[in-house]
Amino acid sequence: MKRVLALLLALVLVLALCACGTKKEQPAETQPEQPAETQPEQPAQEENKLVKDTCILLEADEAMINNYSLLAVNPEAPFADADGKAVQGVEINAAGAAALINWLLSEEGQGLAADYGVADYGEHLFYLKEDRPVSAAQIPAATDETRRVRLSTTTSVNDSGLLDYLLPVFHDKYGYEIEVYSAGTGKAIANAKMGNADLILVHAKAQEEAFVEEGFAYTLDGMDSARLTYMYNYFVLCGPSADPAGVKQAGDVKAAFAAIAAGKHPFISRGDGSGTHSKELSLWPEELGITKEAESFKDYTDWYISANAGMGACLVMAEEMGAYILTDKATFLTFQTADGAA
Amino acid sequence: MGAAIQQAWELIRSGDPELLNILSTTARVSLTSSILALLLGLPLGILYGAGRFPGRSVLLVLNRTLMGLPPVVCGLLFYLLFSGVGPFGKLKLLFTVELMILAQVVLITPIVIGTMETWVAQTAPALRETAKGLGFGRGKRFLLLLNECVSPMISAYLLAFARAIAEVGAVAMVGGAIAWKTNVMTTAIMMYTNRGSFTLGIALGIILLGLSLLLNAALSLLQRRLNR
Repeated sequence: MKRVLALLLALVLVLALCACGTKKEQPAETQPEQPAETQPEQPAQEENKLVKDTCILLEADEAMINNYSLLAVNPEAPFADADGKAVQGVEINAAGAAALINWLLSEEGQGLAADYGVADYGEHLFYLKEDRPVSAAQIPAATDETRRVRLSTTTSVNDSGLLDYLLPVFHDKYGYEIEVYSAGTGKAIANAKMGNADLILVHAKAQEEAFVEEGFAYTLDGMDSARLTYMYNYFVLCGPSADPAGVKQAGDVKAAFAAIAAGKHPFISRGDGSGTHSKELSLWPEELGITKEAESFKDYTDWYISANAGMGACLVMAEEMGAYILTDKATFLTFQTADGAA
Repeated sequence: MGAAIQQAWELIRSGDPELLNILSTTARVSLTSSILALLLGLPLGILYGAGRFPGRSVLLVLNRTLMGLPPVVCGLLFYLLFSGVGPFGKLKLLFTVELMILAQVVLITPIVIGTMETWVAQTAPALRETAKGLGFGRGKRFLLLLNECVSPMISAYLLAFARAIAEVGAVAMVGGAIAWKTNVMTTAIMMYTNRGSFTLGIALGIILLGLSLLLNAALSLLQRRLNR
């Protein structure tokens, strides 16, 4: 009898815990999305810094422009399942995606994106393109059908904190709930092709063009193109401050990459099909033949390190190994300020 | 580590809204999935352990294989099944807490079954002899077995809960680690690590271990009471 009582007691305890779990969530759910306060407010302490010696060696080269594009997923896209069989009727929230794109391209959205970073880092993390598309379209308030918008984006956008800064403003004004899925550009695009995203924000021109070509993106009303390239920043080549390969003197970025390869100085590659990885592959001297296939760099493993990791993890690795690395400037700046306690 | 502990305390004390959301999602996912797994696994475990029916050994081997199912494989399977283009895409369950729970139930039910089965298979024969000696009928014999199962059941539950709360592969794949929605402790730790916020990651880890410690201590006390 005692055991049965004890058992009942245990059950009640567990159920109560469960109830706590669900109850606590209610206020959090109704709460508007707030920017996560993960950025450091105070200057980092020198000894705790993740990135100490690694510094920007080469930047603002024409070849290093990093363009970000918005693409709305076409509800009529030729979706196919894992076996390649065509799938009909995949539900895409086109109205919600259009609303978000129109807002991001509106005066308000673009202004916020351009200002981002000035307060925290003393410089712009993103710049607006001269020939950017601009939207003046009326943005309808969210309805029950259009409320949930799935945005698939790259880690560099998400980790820079830009979306945490922009999306709450959009949410408060129009009521849309934006669910941000972040992965390398390759995976972010694959996620959209699987019918799991309503729009994508990525930075790899070739992969974006293939996405449009295959019919996965479509041109919104009032726009000229399915690829809405509207902001950019720069990739930067970073490395140890002593700069053993002499990339600072190399002149341009291609020569710098050639110098790294010639001297067999360690280089960290993302190796994960991300936009940064795509960019890096395009900068090596052609005769090396480095591509995304592991086969192509098997002879260079003494200096070419394919990490298959996110930008942040790779930066820490470069710092540890005194290696060169290609990174987007926004992530580098957030990491340079990060002291591991952010 | 000192900074991490301090930050963990600071997070709890200030009632950081994002942390509370992550905590409640974690509690919801791991408690619900471990309880569902217990409810499913308990009868099956007793059946496999005490029952004698054809195909039992095949089922046991299958179950032991599933006990070693890598979480990422389970996650990938669910991702493909519930993607927009997958067979269950219409249900719109991908990147929801519900699907995370379902994936975890699939992962941890075999563990409950396996734990219970091993224990019951060891105890049942002796118990049967005793019951026969006392002249108990089938029904009473079953009740006697159930009565003996209470303590190992708690162990099985703790094992299931531990796996559920510590698991990252499946929840990351199926939940997508979406902030304010499907981000749990383990995926949040991964996210903060990627952003270079190691201390915050460790702080979350400390909180996670602390919660685990509380639940384990409570249930272990209960178990000792029962065994006295």
